[in-house]
Amino acid sequence: MADKQKNIRNFSIIAHIDHGKSTLADRILEYSNAVAKREMEEQLLDNMDLERERGITIKARAVRIDYKHKDGQDYVLNLIDTPGHVDFNYEVSRSLNACEGALLVVDSTQGIEAQTLANAYLAVDCDLEIVPVINKIDLPSADVDRVRNEIEDIIGIVAEDCPAVSAKVGLNIDQVLDAIIEKIPAPKGDPSAPLKCLIFDSHYNSYLGVVVYVRVMDGTLKAGDTIRLMSTNARYDVVEVGHLNAFGLQKADSISAGEVGYITASIKTVSETRVGDTVTLDDNPTDEPLEGFKEALPMVFSGIYPADGARYNDLRDALEKLQLNDAALSFEPETSIALGFGFRCGFLGLLHMEIIQERLEREFNLDLITTAPSVIYKITKTNGETIMVDNPSNYPPADTIKTAYEPVVKSSIITPTEFVGGIMDLCQDRRGTFKDMKYLDASRVELHYIMPLNEIVYDFFDALKSRSKGYASLDYELAGYEASNLVKLDFLLNGEIVDALTFIVHTEKAYTRARKIAEKLKDNISRQLFEIPIQAAIGSKVIARETVKALRKDVLAKCYGGDITRKKKLLEKQKEGKKKMRRLGSVEVTPEAFMAVLKLDDSEK
Amino acid sequence: MQRLGLYIHIPFCKRKCNYCDFYSCTKLDNIKSYIDALLKQIVIDAPLYRDYEFDTIFIGGGTPSLLEPNDFERLTDAIKNNLNLTQGLEFSLEANPGTLTREKLLAYEKGGVNRLSMGLQSTFDNELKTLGRIHTYDEFVKNFNLARECGFDNISIDVMYSLPNQKTNDLLTTLERVSSLNPEHISSYCLKIEEKTPFGKIKDKLMLPNEDEEYEMYISMCDYLNKKGYLQYEISNFARAGYESKHNLKYWQSEEYIGIGPSAHSFFGGERYYYQDNLTDYISTILKGNSPEKIFEKELEIEHSVAHISKEDEYVMLKMRLSSGINTEEFKTRFGKEFLNSYPAVEKYIKSGHIVLLNNSYKFTPQGFFVSNYILTDILRFEN
Repeated sequence: MADKQKNIRNFSIIAHIDHGKSTLADRILEYSNAVAKREMEEQLLDNMDLERERGITIKARAVRIDYKHKDGQDYVLNLIDTPGHVDFNYEVSRSLNACEGALLVVDSTQGIEAQTLANAYLAVDCDLEIVPVINKIDLPSADVDRVRNEIEDIIGIVAEDCPAVSAKVGLNIDQVLDAIIEKIPAPKGDPSAPLKCLIFDSHYNSYLGVVVYVRVMDGTLKAGDTIRLMSTNARYDVVEVGHLNAFGLQKADSISAGEVGYITASIKTVSETRVGDTVTLDDNPTDEPLEGFKEALPMVFSGIYPADGARYNDLRDALEKLQLNDAALSFEPETSIALGFGFRCGFLGLLHMEIIQERLEREFNLDLITTAPSVIYKITKTNGETIMVDNPSNYPPADTIKTAYEPVVKSSIITPTEFVGGIMDLCQDRRGTFKDMKYLDASRVELHYIMPLNEIVYDFFDALKSRSKGYASLDYELAGYEASNLVKLDFLLNGEIVDALTFIVHTEKAYTRARKIAEKLKDNISRQLFEIPIQAAIGSKVIARETVKALRKDVLAKCYGGDITRKKKLLEKQKEGKKKMRRLGSVEVTPEAFMAVLKLDDSEK
Repeated sequence: MQRLGLYIHIPFCKRKCNYCDFYSCTKLDNIKSYIDALLKQIVIDAPLYRDYEFDTIFIGGGTPSLLEPNDFERLTDAIKNNLNLTQGLEFSLEANPGTLTREKLLAYEKGGVNRLSMGLQSTFDNELKTLGRIHTYDEFVKNFNLARECGFDNISIDVMYSLPNQKTNDLLTTLERVSSLNPEHISSYCLKIEEKTPFGKIKDKLMLPNEDEEYEMYISMCDYLNKKGYLQYEISNFARAGYESKHNLKYWQSEEYIGIGPSAHSFFGGERYYYQDNLTDYISTILKGNSPEKIFEKELEIEHSVAHISKEDEYVMLKMRLSSGINTEEFKTRFGKEFLNSYPAVEKYIKSGHIVLLNNSYKFTPQGFFVSNYILTDILRFEN
């Protein structure tokens, strides 16, 4: 049995976004013949359309590769893919815990970026053997030596003889496989010890129920065993176990220590199988569960409403379906006077939010209206009560608040030196507290700021990119709550508050934000037969105002030569457009107007 | 006998104006064979109209005044020989300055034309040039006077407003000059930039008046023309009492008409249909002895549209174009119900001053006319 483990390698690939992680995964699969070349679709591991289009991996996936090495021995390589974005740190850490090693992919034209570092540190925390892989050496601007030095100087791992490859053209992939086998340690579990499996992912399949992805640390598991999930003590009878090959599930008699595989046991929802939980045998349990993972907590919230109110139930069904595979997505019904019935949804971060919105629109064919993203505020009230507020319109009146706290994050920004000034101004403007600045080399700097999350969800990423010509990278992690001087800003159309536009802002920012949003509203509300005043107010005090002038002229079709059809079609089309509008009191607003308000690029000023 | 209007499309122009998206060709050597085709279609279709009598004819375009006397005579002979025409028939022909001669005018008159609709658009030569017109104001005046000399006592002049760089005063000057010619009828259309025209392609570069300026022009125009004795009877049409266009009124009063020629529209037997805008197909189909294909409105795919204008909605939409508006008695007779019960949203526009109720009729005020699409979109029912 011990021999079997000797030839297993469990590894992940980690990288900054766009550094070529998924392409490298494809090449490894291809090189090891797991997938015949002609059968490959680009980037096989990313099996959601959206992932493929955006070139990012959203959900972790695992694949088993049977590989005959040049030493003549047969190896089992388990590649556990990880997402590459800041929002999904948690998913990265769950995957890493199932491995003994990680390939750290670095783009030879870019060097180390914020998420390269963040991911490398995560891997170090998990005691993984890190194998650097320098990618994209086919590009003219590749600078392998510089990147080698960066890896050694900044991360502090040996990169002298690490593979330098082009995943895109398939250059030097053999060296990557050599490194996997030679550098990454084999697992060292005890197949005869009590069962201990780590859940690192799960997904819902309408035929099998929940498919639980596990790494077996100790012991052996087969169909018919009764398992226990240690955090909840829930028991299930195992229906099937097996491995994950490139095309899906491959049933096996058993899975044992060192292996990566799956379990099905008629489990109904993914929320029952918490990632990080330990699976053991009910009749011979382990004494010690694996160190549990923290639960993924939503950090960013937004109201999601169907553009067509009649599709509320469809939206609910769609969210439920997405939640089957995404335990980090939370939602609960909410009602807005402006938008009707919808849901307050919680996300890991902005990218997670965008992905969910896009999947709702694309896979479920829904038109959505989304409110500006918000964070959770903690309020201690004068009556001693403490409440959490995830919807700005539920923010209590100023005179009932003793202290308001907002979440802050530790952010790390890596940028070429020429943009440091502009980025420091931006962070300053976004209420960041400067921590330190490190030169990574002569041309690049890493900045650390403590910043309110509220400022990050408000278009920060776009502003950062536009001030650095796209070169700066960002990573952040939650760093608790801080007391803050916040106010609730309301917007009124024709004298009536539009609850969906309400948001929380720091006192000092209130005036500029109010003015900008009022202007934006003015540009995005089409003229109606009467003048529409737009006001921004804190409590009863109006701090900004604009006016949408009354409509006085619209298109006068000629009905020339008796062409009545054209005129009818014009009116029918107009009516269709009007049906999508939201009535806010006496004012009609297109869904686009809500969206436009969300996008305020600060660097435009 | 039931009455019908007849529209004949003459899809030829010397050159296309920069704003125009009506169907016409600038290759003129097809005119003869096109007239052949029209004659044949009139003969083929005539039995369909045996029980009808035509009380209006409108030859429009394009540029009908490109027709030479003998072609025109062949066309009018075919009409007279195959269709029932009423006494006191209104027979209009569109004429463009730059194409008219005494000889042609006399031939039209002899053929029965008793109303000329002349395209002027502006009295400023620089504006005419911008629009891509082939004539100057001076040429127009000469043609107008010539038409009077030839005996035309019912002439309409077309003008346009909201032109690039135009100010309200420019429009008023044009209207002053036009009214001093003393035509019986004036049509004044707001320039609308159509996508597939030369103007559409340089839309952003045209210095067009803004919405408020357009509004000012429209209101000043209605006011000026009314003072000059041209009564507004439709959104864009003004006439001396008794000189309203009977043919055009049919469109707005939901009365029936036949249109022949490529892109011509018909409302006949309760159905709206039109012919494809393809001249060569049209000619070859008919000359082969077939009828050109009718495209029925009811069969048009409305892209994922659920909003649908019913017969009732259509009636309201058309009638509201007229200054006389919707007479509640007439509505009740036609549809067997109360207007206000069917269209309750009308009331709020009375409050806002866009619609008035006068002598049992709901009608747009000038302010209402100018935002009538917006209001119609709100008050119509759009039900299947």
